[in-house]
Amino acid sequence: MNTLKTLRSITRITKYTLSDQLRQKSFVVMFFICVVFVFLIRGCYQGNYMVNGQLLDAGTVVGTVSKVTFHIIAVGVMLIAALLSMRVFRRDREDGMQSCILSKPIARWQYVMGKLLGLWVLSVLFMFILHGIIFLITSVTLKVVMPGYLAASLLCSFNLLFVIVAVLLLSLLMPDIVAFLCVMGVGIVGLITDGIYALSHSQMAQGMIQQPGPHPQSDLTWWKIVHYVWPKLSGMQYFASSFIGSSEVFHGFASVYPLINVLLYCLILGALLFRRFRNEEII
Amino acid sequence: MIELNAATKQYGSLTAVDNVSFSVKTGEYFALLGPNGAGKTTIVKMLLDFARPTSGSLSINGLSSALAACRTAVGCLGENHHIPPYLSGWQYLQRCAQLLDMGRSDAIDQCRRIVELIGMQGREHTKVNTYSKGMVQRFGLGAALIGKPKLLILDEPTSGLDPIGIREIRLLLESLKHQGMTIFLNSHMLSEVEKICDTVAIIHRGRLLVKDAISAILKDGDTLEDVFVRLVKG
Repeated sequence: MNTLKTLRSITRITKYTLSDQLRQKSFVVMFFICVVFVFLIRGCYQGNYMVNGQLLDAGTVVGTVSKVTFHIIAVGVMLIAALLSMRVFRRDREDGMQSCILSKPIARWQYVMGKLLGLWVLSVLFMFILHGIIFLITSVTLKVVMPGYLAASLLCSFNLLFVIVAVLLLSLLMPDIVAFLCVMGVGIVGLITDGIYALSHSQMAQGMIQQPGPHPQSDLTWWKIVHYVWPKLSGMQYFASSFIGSSEVFHGFASVYPLINVLLYCLILGALLFRRFRNEEII
Repeated sequence: MIELNAATKQYGSLTAVDNVSFSVKTGEYFALLGPNGAGKTTIVKMLLDFARPTSGSLSINGLSSALAACRTAVGCLGENHHIPPYLSGWQYLQRCAQLLDMGRSDAIDQCRRIVELIGMQGREHTKVNTYSKGMVQRFGLGAALIGKPKLLILDEPTSGLDPIGIREIRLLLESLKHQGMTIFLNSHMLSEVEKICDTVAIIHRGRLLVKDAISAILKDGDTLEDVFVRLVKG
């Protein structure tokens, strides 16, 4: 009975978070701009692409353009999720909704959980709709069905969860805009370390490393540690995009590691968020 | 109903509430008085678990104020009450009812009754951003009354109201008291408090100066204002 009541409270707060966000004109404008942008991408499928003087076949074009748009949408929605999350607690405090909810027999963790779920559901829906449009364009117009596309979109939702939890936590500790920039910074650093890692594993870099010389080789360089320990948002996106097309999804632990990494970060940051909010003074 | 046991709240080196202990009985109409910055709102915040005491304890109905369950039959109206501007008064009341896990029809019935009680018929469906401060305050009080609470915690409930509004709120609170509701009131309106309260506590610089029945405090034709000024000015 108590569990049901708790779930109902969380569901209500989630619903209020969703409806409050949807009331924001900036959100609606942002959504329509994104939809228009995705529709404009449709033209990219109809172009003729040449690589090394050879015309690419339609299948390759569809696969490549779909992957590129998948990444653009995923990164864009991460940015939007961070923007939506950064002001949630402050707005609730200023509007009196936070004190209204917490003056009722509702525990603080239920409030935070409701907010978190509301933002997550909204962001996931946002991304899923945009990815869904691409899926429909390729399925209906180009007759190329990519069921993995939607699965990849759902998998990328863990990145959104990370961004939301991190921004919510940091917005309790620092100004909203700084929290937003910090989380964006985390994403960018992750992208750079992934880039360095990929570069160091390229044939050209391997060749350079194997050249004889007086350089002592340490297998565990600083950027490697950063690469493994840092939140692997871009790695997660790459893993999700491997579901698109015919490429093989699993290559052992290394391919699943970004998912584990992001989930672990979500758990740790989530625990810190609940703990921090428990001691927060309500105004 | 309410129990404060050596409650202390410190913000760095500032002691907002200093070792305050008192209790409020069921059915009592209690007023907490004090000048600005005395620690009245901090006590209300600690009662609602909006702020954690540095030491000591607070309880409502025998349950620690840190437990959400202690707020089951508690209605509250905070100082500088705000309502989301994009909602209507009706939507706000509905949200409050839903948060108390009320059924749909029950929520509608209660909200309708409360709109009548706070005298806001005809304005309940307009957006809050068109309301005056007094109207927001009335809806705040209405929201506090949803779910028929046994304890009402009010922090400056007449703030922003005109004299007629103040009188209406006073009459409403009196009728609630007659229905057996316990009322914990934070107020600067000494004349209003003198008219309606059973018990008064005066705090200054976080310390409790006096807590007694109003009849015991007012002696030799003194008004509450006289007693208040005498105690606060030392």
